[in-house]
Amino acid sequence: MLVNRIEEKIDKLKREGKKAFITYMTAGLPDYNTTKNIIRTSMEAGLDCMEIGIPFSDPVADGNVIQDASFRAINNGATLEKTFVMMKEIRDEAIELPIVFMMYYNQIYNYGIEKFVKRCIECGVDGLIIPDLPFEEQDELRTELNGHEGAPILIQLVSPVSKSRIEKIVKDARGFIYAVSQMGVTGNENSFHNEIKNYLCEVKEKTDIPVMLGFGIGSAKDVEFIKSQIDGAIVGSHFIRLMEDSNFDMNICANYIKEFKNEL
Amino acid sequence: MNMEKYYGKFGGQYVSESLMNTLDELTKAFEEAINDKAFMDEYRYYLKQYVGRETPLYLAKNLSNKYGAKIYLKREDLNHTGAHKINNVIGQILLAKRMGKTKVIAETGAGQHGVATATGAALFGMECTVYMGEEDIKRQALNVFRMKLLGAKVEAVKTGSKTLKDATNEAIRTWAKRAEDTFYIIGSAVGPYPYPRMVKEFQKVISIEAKRQILEQEHALPDAVVACVGGGSNSIGMFADFIDEKNVKLIGVEAAGLGIETGKHASAMSEGKMGVLHGMRTYLLQDDDGNIKLAHSISAGLDYPGVGPEHAYLRDTKRVEYVSIRDDECMNALMELNKLEGILPAIESAHALAHTLKIAQNEMKGKTIIVCLSGRGDKDIDTISKYFNGEETNK
Repeated sequence: MLVNRIEEKIDKLKREGKKAFITYMTAGLPDYNTTKNIIRTSMEAGLDCMEIGIPFSDPVADGNVIQDASFRAINNGATLEKTFVMMKEIRDEAIELPIVFMMYYNQIYNYGIEKFVKRCIECGVDGLIIPDLPFEEQDELRTELNGHEGAPILIQLVSPVSKSRIEKIVKDARGFIYAVSQMGVTGNENSFHNEIKNYLCEVKEKTDIPVMLGFGIGSAKDVEFIKSQIDGAIVGSHFIRLMEDSNFDMNICANYIKEFKNEL
Repeated sequence: MNMEKYYGKFGGQYVSESLMNTLDELTKAFEEAINDKAFMDEYRYYLKQYVGRETPLYLAKNLSNKYGAKIYLKREDLNHTGAHKINNVIGQILLAKRMGKTKVIAETGAGQHGVATATGAALFGMECTVYMGEEDIKRQALNVFRMKLLGAKVEAVKTGSKTLKDATNEAIRTWAKRAEDTFYIIGSAVGPYPYPRMVKEFQKVISIEAKRQILEQEHALPDAVVACVGGGSNSIGMFADFIDEKNVKLIGVEAAGLGIETGKHASAMSEGKMGVLHGMRTYLLQDDDGNIKLAHSISAGLDYPGVGPEHAYLRDTKRVEYVSIRDDECMNALMELNKLEGILPAIESAHALAHTLKIAQNEMKGKTIIVCLSGRGDKDIDTISKYFNGEETNK
């Protein structure tokens, strides 16, 4: 079986005893050249994995920052197909940074599930995060993913209110578990769920794969108090804001990643 | 895929993980409630004494004489707050109370469901927030004022197209954040399971009454039943008790806006493209990139890019025929009813009426037809006046 870039990276981090740092960036914001620059810069700065958000007209799992980013990216012409093309170009440059697509199920459904999976393989997409596709609705996509060698990993999400659902969700999960830090949508800073510690312990207990915490994280300090319960952190809205406010300054991008990685 | 949550291949629960347990709790609470006589008695009590049910089934003689079929109107426009929306709100808000929730949220387009929810919240002492697109707030100032008078907070949604679709997105986001104490009252037969089923349950009173009434007046079932379809709440209620009556033709009428061929319409069925939005798999207006397209209709209540999953199923199984009516056709029907019967219907309901007038002169000549008059036209006065003065209407 082909080695998946995410799993390869996770093995490496495990051997080195390090935690993972993952960022999120909306594809085509403000254009695809910028997205490519961010990918290259981030990899050189030591980022472990990157989520590329495919802009969608109705991003119900996202807060204001990512909603606005999606809206503007769409207006600038970003699409799923163009993002595939960008991915292919990035892989042709021998950039081996693990990349996960964060997107909504309608985009996959509309593209055609089989065609989508094949295109992910062609273009080197390593994982998928689909916030509106809960465990019970995944069969259709999972069948297609299982049927193709080298298909991306469907990353499983758990939430502070998942409770008795955690076990079945993490059972066959691969790559890493995306633990949502709070109820609601992305980008709500300083509002982790009050039961966060117990919840993360519970998730850790039930799985052997790494648990990455996302939603509402800005700096490594935000996760300091729960560092021993997580294997990595994901930063989305804060990173987008940082990039937009600096007019996509690649030095700021690199420094932010290095600093976060060091402190984590 | 849990087939209980599906209507054929439509429906399901396409929501974030944070809401999955909430939906499970809701499903259980709903099933218990509708099997609890005390709950259903309370629901029926409010429908009778507060909403003013039952609503009449009125034989529109002048209209019938002119168009050639016996046309009965199911007068949902006579309900408290002026439309069928209140039937469902009473049911869901009683359920919210039973589940111990103290706050309710709702989405609204034209404001009818928002007004009905604000009304129910006032009645039952709940804190109420209504999400409404900024564009719709401008267009429906009267309903916004009414909701505020009732003590509801109206939250302006400024994202995306700033209309119903985006208001629904925002309500879902808030719900995902606050489900612990907040109940989301969905107004249409859409959303993740069990919402489509709940809305049908609380709207089916329309067809239960209509069936009894037509049997009293005609001693026979109708030949056809017609209702307008946006998300599909009045229509699913109007069809529910007739679905098993195979000899009754059921017709759902979507909004064709300026005409299907212009692309400016709200007929999710006409393009026949399936997709996933607002927690359900159904027919959706969408572009080649999988982004949801804007719907277009003179009627704000039909201005929705999707359709309830059970309707999608009823279309595929051919039990219900779905057609569409243009803005101009519906406005002519609205004036006909107004002039011939002295009833000003909501622009939404006028779509169902327009199709009825068409078939009354053709294949349904001499037959009996029930039309669901889902709401009254008072809320539309501004749009109607602009339309007939040749000014640009809101939509």
